[in-house]
Amino acid sequence: MIQHLLHISHVSKHFGGNVAVSDVSFSVEEEQIFGLIGPNGAGKTTLFNCITGFFPATSGDVIFDTKKINALRPDEICKLGMARTWQRVKPLGSLTVLENVMVGAFSVTTVAKEAEANAKEQLQVVGLNDYATKSAGSLPIGLKKKLELARVLATRPKMLLLDEICGGLNHTETDTILDIIRGIRKKGATIIFIEHDMKAVTSICDRIVVLNSGEKLAEGTPGEITTNPDVIAAYLGGGHHA
Amino acid sequence: MKQIAFLAVLAAVALALPLVIGENPYIIGILISMLMMAALSSAWNILGGYAGQYSFGHAAYFGAGAYTTLILLTLYNLNPLFCIAVGIVVASIIALVTGSIVFRLRGHYFGLASIAVAEVVRLSVLNFNFTGGAQGILLSDVALWDLDLNSKTPFYYGMLLVLVVTLSITAYLRRSKTGYYLQAIREDQDAAASLGINIYFYKNKALLLSAALTSVLGSLYGLYIRFIDTSAVLDLRLSIEIILTAIIGGVGTLWGPVIGALLLVPLAEILRSNLIGDVLIKAGLVSETSGVGLFLKGSLANAHVLLYGIITVLCILYLPKGILGLFRRKK
Ligand SMILES: Nc1ncnc2c1ncn2[C@@H]1O[C@H](COP(=O)(O)OP(=O)(O)O)[C@@H](O)[C@H]1O
Ligand SMILES: [Mg+2]
Repeated sequence: MIQHLLHISHVSKHFGGNVAVSDVSFSVEEEQIFGLIGPNGAGKTTLFNCITGFFPATSGDVIFDTKKINALRPDEICKLGMARTWQRVKPLGSLTVLENVMVGAFSVTTVAKEAEANAKEQLQVVGLNDYATKSAGSLPIGLKKKLELARVLATRPKMLLLDEICGGLNHTETDTILDIIRGIRKKGATIIFIEHDMKAVTSICDRIVVLNSGEKLAEGTPGEITTNPDVIAAYLGGGHHA
Repeated sequence: MKQIAFLAVLAAVALALPLVIGENPYIIGILISMLMMAALSSAWNILGGYAGQYSFGHAAYFGAGAYTTLILLTLYNLNPLFCIAVGIVVASIIALVTGSIVFRLRGHYFGLASIAVAEVVRLSVLNFNFTGGAQGILLSDVALWDLDLNSKTPFYYGMLLVLVVTLSITAYLRRSKTGYYLQAIREDQDAAASLGINIYFYKNKALLLSAALTSVLGSLYGLYIRFIDTSAVLDLRLSIEIILTAIIGGVGTLWGPVIGALLLVPLAEILRSNLIGDVLIKAGLVSETSGVGLFLKGSLANAHVLLYGIITVLCILYLPKGILGLFRRKK
């Protein structure tokens, strides 16, 4: 039987008259890497904000692990095992890299020693161990993205929502992050992956939803998406500006 | 190891000081003010420095302690320690009401709301009868155990104790989950929430702790001075002095507020007591009736808050991490 870990049902989000997300539905299975793509302003980040409790959805339901989470706060959702990263990275600037990851680790323990051990393990996973004592604000963007990843991993999530975790990175850095994500999935986590870089998305995702102007344009395997005429017209063909 | 030795020497000096100074009430008085400001600023620092929530109304919690204690003592002559405990309860209620309303809002409303709450408290106290209104409250006599409460020495040790407790709590917090969470909230609230931190709960926790410690200091101050009115214990000026002491010493550091108090309290005392004017006049450098002499003896004596302000501006411009920041190695 297929396990749906996350079920998005007719979710809409309006900002005044601006419809950022319009009646979007899809389901994510356990241990899937699920891609969410679409041009700038398509509503991808807004949908993440609705799922993770930062903006309440105007209508529709978000069901995680059979539990309706629409009305929960972000911290409650994190405690249920769903963690997200930020497209515009949010390092805790005056804390060290290790301390940043420890903050994430404290969501699963109250003991500082355990949090530190967990944090060091995650720094190892993303390859930031040499930077443990550096202040987080001083890292270059590529390493800040890795820090975002280490920090959410420390919350030991069942599901990760990664918002353009490869944005602004070069090819080598992107490949490193993609390898890390494959490793995370192998350990049993489920991932939703917002990305612009089509090559990255098609190489790593099992299934993809395409958003355009807040609406769901298409859903399918990478093969189906790259050959879908609507998608090509609206997104892939459109001068590749996205 | 070096740190422990340093702390041991510091503790020994602090404990022995009254014995060395003997019964010089003037010097002991200044030392008490230093300890009190160091503790007040440290208590403020838990909320302002670590959680990043600048309270401009800590006088409300100080006044809550002082008024509760003196009212209970003058009316019912209860045990002073019990009065201090009731003061904590009163301050905590004010803190919880403030926090539960303001911390639900996003953004920097807390600073403004803290001033508003403190003003409401001050005006209420001024207008109620049981608080003595504009007259204030005079405490004629107080007794606890065999202590000689007419001498200043017990209050020196009392303030020292509260300072040590406040610093110990801060030192413990820094290395605990709560301390990490408060700093995460200070650095980025959305990031903090996304990492499982209940922002509302932890801000209230910091506020409550800070307010409770502040109220104990208010109670001690009331017992020490034995006369309080709103301008002494509920004034905005006090709230500002507490913040400036922390800023000048180093916000969000363990020792910053202590260093700030060690520097600023004597400085204020020098200005207030006309020391500069007296010395210059005695040395014959300035005539007492000249413009400069009048300025030194008159205006400058009231200028310590202004001077704090000037030092703070200089600190923000040139020492954003406070005086303690000078001695911190860069990471
Ligand atoms: N907090 C907000 N307030 C008002 N409008 C918003 C807000 N966040 C996003 N939007 C709007 O929602 C739309 C979708 O934005 P976003 O979700 O960031 O797109 P994407 O992540 O796909 O690039 C945009 O038109 C944007 O201006
Ligand atoms: Mg986005």
